[in-house]
Formats: sequence, C-alpha cells, structure tokens
Amino acid sequence: MLQRKQSPENRPDQAPAPAAAPHRKIWRRLPWWQWLLGIVLVVIFLFPFYWVIVTSLNGANQVLQFPPVFLPHGQWQNYSRAWSEAPWLRYFANTIFIAGATTLLVLITSLLAGFAFGTMQFWGKTAIFAGFIAMMMIPQTVLLIPDYLVLRDLHWLNTYWAQIVPWSASVFGIFLLRQYFLSFPRELIEAARLDGATETRFIWKIAVPMAKPALITIALYVFLGSWNSFLWPYIMTQSPSVQPIEVGLATFLGTNGTDWTGLSAAVVFTTLPVMILFLVAQRQFLAGAYAATGGVKG
Amino acid sequence: MFATERRRRSAYLYLTPAALVFLVFTLGPAFFVLYISLFNWNFLNSAQSTFVGLQNYTNLLTSSSFWHSLAISLYFVIGTVPVGLFLALIIAMALMNQFAGRGFVRLAVFSPYVTPVVATSIVWIWIFNPQFGLLNGLLHMAHLPELGWLESQRWAMPGVILYTLWHSLGFDVIIFMAGLSAISADLREAARIDGANRWQEFWSVTWPLLTPTTLFVLIITTIGSLQAFTQFFTMTSGGPLSATTTTSYLLYELAFLFYRTGPAAALAVLLFIIIAGLTALQMLLAQRRTYYQ
Repeated sequence: MLQRKQSPENRPDQAPAPAAAPHRKIWRRLPWWQWLLGIVLVVIFLFPFYWVIVTSLNGANQVLQFPPVFLPHGQWQNYSRAWSEAPWLRYFANTIFIAGATTLLVLITSLLAGFAFGTMQFWGKTAIFAGFIAMMMIPQTVLLIPDYLVLRDLHWLNTYWAQIVPWSASVFGIFLLRQYFLSFPRELIEAARLDGATETRFIWKIAVPMAKPALITIALYVFLGSWNSFLWPYIMTQSPSVQPIEVGLATFLGTNGTDWTGLSAAVVFTTLPVMILFLVAQRQFLAGAYAATGGVKG
Repeated sequence: MFATERRRRSAYLYLTPAALVFLVFTLGPAFFVLYISLFNWNFLNSAQSTFVGLQNYTNLLTSSSFWHSLAISLYFVIGTVPVGLFLALIIAMALMNQFAGRGFVRLAVFSPYVTPVVATSIVWIWIFNPQFGLLNGLLHMAHLPELGWLESQRWAMPGVILYTLWHSLGFDVIIFMAGLSAISADLREAARIDGANRWQEFWSVTWPLLTPTTLFVLIITTIGSLQAFTQFFTMTSGGPLSATTTTSYLLYELAFLFYRTGPAAALAVLLFIIIAGLTALQMLLAQRRTYYQ
C-alpha cells in the first residue's frame, strides 16, 4: 500500500504529458475519415448480428425473396416454433451447470497453485512451473483421442464429468494469479503470519478479495470458453440430457437446416446470454485480452 | 524465515489439484497418443491392438490425403494469418487516435470474438446461401456474377476464411492496440520533429518497436488457425469434395468417423510437433524480449 502512494503516476501534482494536447487537437480538426472508417467497421462487424435478428423475425416467404428483405416483419412465432422443437431448457441448464462448475474449479486450482508459485519457496519450483507452462503446448485436438479412451475407461463418457474435470485447471489462470501474487506486498504476508493467521485463512480472507480483478477476468474467460466449446462435448457425449447448448444448436442445424427463420431464432436465443455477459463485463473482457499477451507486454 | 518446513509441504499440497488434472488429462494422454500411434489400435477392444512400429507414420506420409490436408491447412493459415495481421494492424492504428465513438467501434470490432462459433457460423451459412443469401444479393445488385460460396469447391475456403476473419480479428486488434500504446509517444514525436512524415515514422519507429507484438499475434493466430475445427464442421463438413478438409478436420474424420485410431493418433502426433514447435518459438521470442528490457 505504502509503495503505491509513492509511485509517480499517482501523484496529484503530476502534470499531463505536454505532447498530448496539440496532437489531439489536430485529430479533432480532421475527423471525417476517422468517422468514415469507424462507421464502415461498425457496419461490417455488427451487420451479421442485425441480419440474424431480421431473419429470425421474417416469414418464410420474405426470407426466400431475392434481392433480400432488409427489415424485420415481426414474425415472433419463429421463436416459439424453434423453442418447441428441441429441449433447449435442458441444454441451457446443462451449459450453466458445466460452465459454472468448470469456472469454480478453475478458480480454486488457479488460486492455490498461483499462491504457491507466487509467494512460497520450495524445492523444484522453477521446474514445476516450467512443466505447468509446457501444458499449453499440448493442443486440445491432439488430446481428443487419448482423452476419449481415458474417459471411456473411467466410465465418464456421456456424463457431466467428462465436460468439467479435464478443464478444471488452467495454465492461463495459474500464470495470471502467479503474476499477481508476485507483486503482492511481502509485509502483508509476514504481518498476517505474525498475527497467527493460517495460510488457508490468509488466502481466503486477504488474497482472494485483493486478487478480485484477476479472478473475475479468469472466471469470465473460463465461463465463456466453456459455454462456447463444441468439439470436446460433441465427441465425449451423445445424449441431450448432458449436452451443452452449442452441441444442441449443431444438432438443431442438422435436423432443421432449411428452416432459416427458426434456425435464426435459435441462434438469437442461444447467443443472447453470452452477449449480455459480454456487454455487462466488456471492460474485464478487454482487460483479459490484454492479459493474454502475458510475456509480450513489456 | 520461520515455519519453513510446514510452508514447503503446503506448497506441494496447493499444487496437487492442478497437477493432477494436467497429469491425468494432458501430460499422460500426450504420451498415450504417442503410444497409440505405434499400434494398429482396436477402437472397441484395446487389448486386441497389434504393434506396427512406425507404419502408421509411413502410411500417412505417403498418403495423398495427408498432404492434401496439409495444403488445405496452409491455404487457411495464409488466408487468415497474414491477411488478418495486416487488417488488424490497420484497424488498431486507426483506433489509437482519439475520436468520439472510438470505444464503441472497438467494442463492435471485438464483439464477434466472444460469440460461439456454432451460432455465428450458422448466420454466415445463411449469408453465403447461393440462392437467397445476402452476399449474392449484394453481388447481384452490383451486377457482379453470383458465387456458389460454401457449395462450390473454389469458393468454400474463401467463405470460411471470411467468417474466421470476422470472428477473430477483434482479438488481434486489441493486442495490437496494447502493443501500440506501449510505444512511447515521445519517440514518435521526436521522429516527427526530425522531419519524418507519417509513413517514415511508421517504418522507422512504430514497426520495429512493435515487432514483439507482431510475432506474438503471428504465432498465436497460426496455432489457432491450425487447430480451427468448428467452423469447418458447421459450414462445409470438410467439403465439397474435401476442398476444406484441413489437417485438424482429417484428424476428426479418421478418429471419430472412420475409427482408424492408430493412423489418427499418428496424425495427432505430427500436428502436435508442428504446434509445439510454434509455441516453443513464441516462448523463446517472448523471453528474448524480456532480456532486452
């Protein structure tokens, strides 16, 4: 805490960078190409979102018109039709349970390992850390076959376990929390120890609240990754009773592939939760993207 | 330091949960796939597998489908990585300037990255629809020839590349913006004062200082493109006529459609060598970067 107050960027008397002011002025005078580019980018990147909503609200005959119809027609029955044709509620419940459990477990394993790497001295620390980091080199595609056989031997195929446990530790999470604990004030740890606090108590009462930003970033990305995952659950499960939403949507594409209005409606209501999460926590998502650069940032 | 003994033991205790997961589901299986690749593996009854040595590898390396898939993967990598890098850098540089609505533009560009590939690739299948799709509608209005897109051997891959760029470009843009903001404005200002125009300033100051970021984006996106699967599964199923069967897609076909576990494992090992090599390169470069500072 003390160190923070002394750092120059927090001094209130710090003058703003002198170069910034005139620079900014130049760009304020020439905003038109900037605006144009901004509008073009927004249109290109957001149009597919608009388009799927329009399609989901159009009747079958409008969808099959050429050239295409650009405005929605309020055919809300597409939603009720799509909703009734697959066990979406079950898919949602499965996804929330799988993503939630995975996130919780990743937070626990990352917190413990990150704390050990960041604050403790023990034999083999560097080698073990390098070993953990090396896990990043082994891609999921390569692990599909052996993990399928391992999960089969465990009798975990077609269960929630197959979708949660293999993903319950994250190198990204461990790395991020280790970095965090490395910059943790030493005195705080020593003070807590002198006060007779046990390590677990220290982690729970002091480290967790202070590491909150890092924990939130990890939680968001793990939750999102779990929600969006397809190949793994598609291979490891067969029955809708345990399958997540994206596998359900792919199945729906397979059976209702020509019902474009219903399919679009299904895309909208299955993606809406992710988009809401993203809009609510956009700051943390962007921060997480920065954090992902890890080694690169100077 | 006191209580050192107890602390030591608890450190190993704290590492155990993560280590167990990595051991059982990552490290162990990585060796297991290597082992499987040396067998004519019986998918239904592992005990009936027969040892064949390197035969799966020699079969693979002499099969046209393997080299074809590698060429297809290369096509996809070239279509997504250099093109994506170039576009992301331009967008990032444009977004570095302050203007009203900048935050919104950045959010819009990044938003496809968080969407599930299954869901948004369905939207693009519809956009690419040859009869009623939006894209052919636009081409028609512009009096340009309409294309078969995902249903044509020639245009299926460009279609998947277009979707992938839309989906993933935002992440690269954010990384580049982070890299650009780390470059001191003073240096660029100094170049400007020395009489450099915007172009010279970019090539002599921004570009060299951005090298670590560029390499990071290059390697991360290459690895991502080599592993891409879901959009191929939903948009083309590797077709038409294996025009989009990448190495990752071939691996899926061999392993889980044809149940040729041994050859698929050998293919996984080859893919692993390529990806691990790229990852090691990335780590090495990241480390060298920190030495410089």
